[in-house]
Amino acid sequence: MIAELVLATLFGLLLLGIHRKVIARIQRRPGPPIWQEILHAAKFSFKTTWVPATASGALFTGIVLVAIGIWTAAFFVVMSGGSLLVIFGIYMLHKIVEHAFGLSSGSPYGKFGGVRSVISAASEIPLFVSVAAIALFTGSLTLSDIIAWQQVHGPLLITAFPAAVAMYLVLLSKMPFGPFSIVEAKELVSGYKTEHFGVWRAGLEVCNGLKTTVLLATFLFVFVGQIPLLWMVICMIIITVSLSFACALTPMLSPFDSVTIQSLVTGVMLVYAGVVFLGAMP
Amino acid sequence: MSGRMKRSAGRLVAVGVIACGTVFALHGYGWIPFWVFAAVVVLAFPPTVLALFLWWMADEGKEDIPFIGY
Repeated sequence: MIAELVLATLFGLLLLGIHRKVIARIQRRPGPPIWQEILHAAKFSFKTTWVPATASGALFTGIVLVAIGIWTAAFFVVMSGGSLLVIFGIYMLHKIVEHAFGLSSGSPYGKFGGVRSVISAASEIPLFVSVAAIALFTGSLTLSDIIAWQQVHGPLLITAFPAAVAMYLVLLSKMPFGPFSIVEAKELVSGYKTEHFGVWRAGLEVCNGLKTTVLLATFLFVFVGQIPLLWMVICMIIITVSLSFACALTPMLSPFDSVTIQSLVTGVMLVYAGVVFLGAMP
Repeated sequence: MSGRMKRSAGRLVAVGVIACGTVFALHGYGWIPFWVFAAVVVLAFPPTVLALFLWWMADEGKEDIPFIGY
């Protein structure tokens, strides 16, 4: 399973490379090669590295370990068919990681990115309602139980389509260059990761690769169920390309608009969960 | 990067790889439960990756003050 962990990281980076390539082609640019993010991680790992004078040394370096660690844990939870709540708990932890990344550097760009990561926590609210709807349908929040439920009743993508859309929006909020990517907006240089360069940025790239694979795999397990590995890879690429289209065709929202839209989605999802709940009542 | 730091990073990589390899083998033979295997890898994988990068990186530069506004 250690080989799978490394492969999942590389595959996630490849998906991020495909994401960049598709966005570039939609915008009629040649774009980087699809393995660019893997090259990025390798390049950063070789570069001269230090800790800025204004940074909190322990937090600046330690948070990179935490970032990789939490998504390694999420990977094992997904692979073992564990609890969906743990995965989304880790997803929430990632917000705190972004916050710590930004605030540890002593750079105003990083700090603004860190503050925006707290604002963008609004993207998690549709997730909770989505999870509630899944629990109402399947009666469990364990991935293995959800997969077993779908083998009997069919994919949740059809049964609970609005929940899938809400979860898709959560995925969109995590993709770079998307409408909700306010934590790394260009007016903040690179946002929370501005001052993390060299080895520290390479570590962050490892985290991002792993995170992308884990989130897409979770989406597929929850809404499609157990499918052969090859189909899983194909579906992950298709979802990534669809997300790239959304990112390429949508301008980055201001922080206020980003939170407003996600709050509206939450409202719609609450109504949906209420309807499902009433329907489930005897 | 100073020679001593490089050696420390190299040692950390070796320890991490040995720890992950050992628990992988022990779990494969069924001597330890899955959660112990996962816990050790979750703790060992991040420092191993960072130590590997620190081991092979080009050089250690002097700390600087980032741009903090006009």
